[in-house]
Amino acid sequence: MKKILIIEDDLLISSLVQFRLKKDGYETHLVKDGNEGIKAIEDLNPDLIITDVMMPFRSGIEIIHHAKKSKPDTPIIVLSSLGEEEEVVLEAFNLGVSDFVPKPFNPNELAIRVKRVLS
Amino acid sequence: MKKTLLLFYFLGIFLVVPKVLAQEISIPKDPKDFRTFLQIQKEVPGLGYRLLIPDSSIDSTLLAELDLQIIPTDSGQLSGVKENFELFGLLPNDSLGFQVIYTVFEQATADSAAQEYLANLVRNGDFVPRTEIQKPQNDLVALAIHSPYIPVFGNKYTFTADIKLFIVTSVIFTFFIFAFGMFVYMLVLRAKKNRKEELEAEYDQMIVDPLTSILFDKSLEEIKQMKMEELNSFFPNELVIKPIYREVLIDRIIGLNKKMKGDFKDKLKTLYHKLGLAKVSVDKIKLRSSSKWHIVADGLVEINEMDLVEFVPEVKKLTNSSNFHVRSLAVAAMLNLSQKSDLSFLRDQTYPLSDWQQMNYLRIIKFVSQSKELKIEMLFESQNPSIRSFGLKLVRMLGRVDLLEKLSQIAPKLGDEEKVEVLKVYREFGAHMEVDFVNDCLRSSNKELMTQAIKAARVVGNEQSVEILESLLLNENDFHIKMLILKSIHELNDDKFQELTIRNTDSSLFKMRKHILDPKLSHV
Repeated sequence: MKKILIIEDDLLISSLVQFRLKKDGYETHLVKDGNEGIKAIEDLNPDLIITDVMMPFRSGIEIIHHAKKSKPDTPIIVLSSLGEEEEVVLEAFNLGVSDFVPKPFNPNELAIRVKRVLS
Repeated sequence: MKKTLLLFYFLGIFLVVPKVLAQEISIPKDPKDFRTFLQIQKEVPGLGYRLLIPDSSIDSTLLAELDLQIIPTDSGQLSGVKENFELFGLLPNDSLGFQVIYTVFEQATADSAAQEYLANLVRNGDFVPRTEIQKPQNDLVALAIHSPYIPVFGNKYTFTADIKLFIVTSVIFTFFIFAFGMFVYMLVLRAKKNRKEELEAEYDQMIVDPLTSILFDKSLEEIKQMKMEELNSFFPNELVIKPIYREVLIDRIIGLNKKMKGDFKDKLKTLYHKLGLAKVSVDKIKLRSSSKWHIVADGLVEINEMDLVEFVPEVKKLTNSSNFHVRSLAVAAMLNLSQKSDLSFLRDQTYPLSDWQQMNYLRIIKFVSQSKELKIEMLFESQNPSIRSFGLKLVRMLGRVDLLEKLSQIAPKLGDEEKVEVLKVYREFGAHMEVDFVNDCLRSSNKELMTQAIKAARVVGNEQSVEILESLLLNENDFHIKMLILKSIHELNDDKFQELTIRNTDSSLFKMRKHILDPKLSHV
């Protein structure tokens, strides 16, 4: 079973994403801030990371930096309301993220992107 | 109101205290009354007296009984210093029979000085005069004359008899009561806040699962068909009726609505209606108390976010509210929600539009104008100049060339501030047919209008404009305006520009010419 780490400070959003991905048969883990996210990347060794950008303690960009150093092969999907800000999107892709999903988003669409990235 | 009353209470205390402290005990001035007063006191610290008795005016037996330590003098017999004033009662009631010489610390002193000494003792609180209410054996009027009026000191309780001590104690006591009350109030508020936060966190957890489950497991049609009993199995009715639970539910649904798209939005809106939250939102905007404007503002945000178009008439009532925030949010909600393409609610607004409001409305109008054709020309009919100016800005920002003809009709009748906006429109659209209006504005005494006309003339001007600009240049001293004029002439008629800048003796014009012709400085 593929392991997905969801790093998102909004409990309802992370629960919705988790609920949807569980339906597709993934093992999901939720963390609610950047510090916990970095720790979870080391502890869980996930197959996919889904992360927000604006979060307490550490931003999503810092998490991507860390993940690309310690787990360079782990794909990352960024889920952020900063989707309209070109700089953030470009920086994320420059760092090597697999996909960028701007909020507002459709969880079903996210599930399709997850499937594509993991295949 | 409560704060004002409390302030008056404390001010009252400070106004009353000096008045009370300023009360003085009256010491009788009449020698006979003064003796009677002293007789009642029995003894006064430091105050004594001597008796000067003319020879044989008092019976020698009585003198012996009184033990007056008589010393014979030339003017009669002088007693030693006595401090017991009770003796006055034993002496004959005849002022001519003897003379009282008062002493202060055994030094002979005048009657008035003795009275002043006693008054000082009383004032300083070193001596509390005694009052004896005598039974009315004699005439009441005579008694009144003999009994000095001493307010409050006749009190039964010693504590209240000392007015200064009483007032100071009362103030300190009031302060402590007030401080204690505030402390208790603070604790209660803190406890309430903590409890509310705990409940919000608890409800937040309780809401996540059922909301997630409904959104994924039920289709939009299924949610629409859901009965209340079924809905209550997800969101129990006993919780939904609780205000805090409702507020958390509203917050979560609105938060999700902002971050979700597709049919999830429709599902959330249906749930919002089915759970009765739409009614909660509209009830908020029906509040008429000005102190609860923040609740009204919350209601407007909820209606706007959830796209509750059925409440547009209620929202419209608030578009001319006296509260700035309510008014701004109501207009924003109307622009977003209203299916009709008229802006009558904005036209009828009587309050001036701030820059912030104009920016906010413009952002929304730019967005909604793609889906519906707004009747911007309605704003030109407003009685409010700032609304008319905003309407003109919209023409320019939205590129509504079709409204130029309308502008041409109304422009001459407008005020200077609006004419400035019209000129910006003409300049933006390159409206050459409006050159006469621009030339009229060039002759205006209003500097701002004239400056804007110079800029507009650069785009839409003709030979007549050049003539006017030339005369303006010769009479103008302002460097900035001269520069603008030269730039416009340069654009309209290069020969005239050369003539004015090369042949003119004014060296500043030559410098301006160099600046204008330098391609590196073309935007400076």
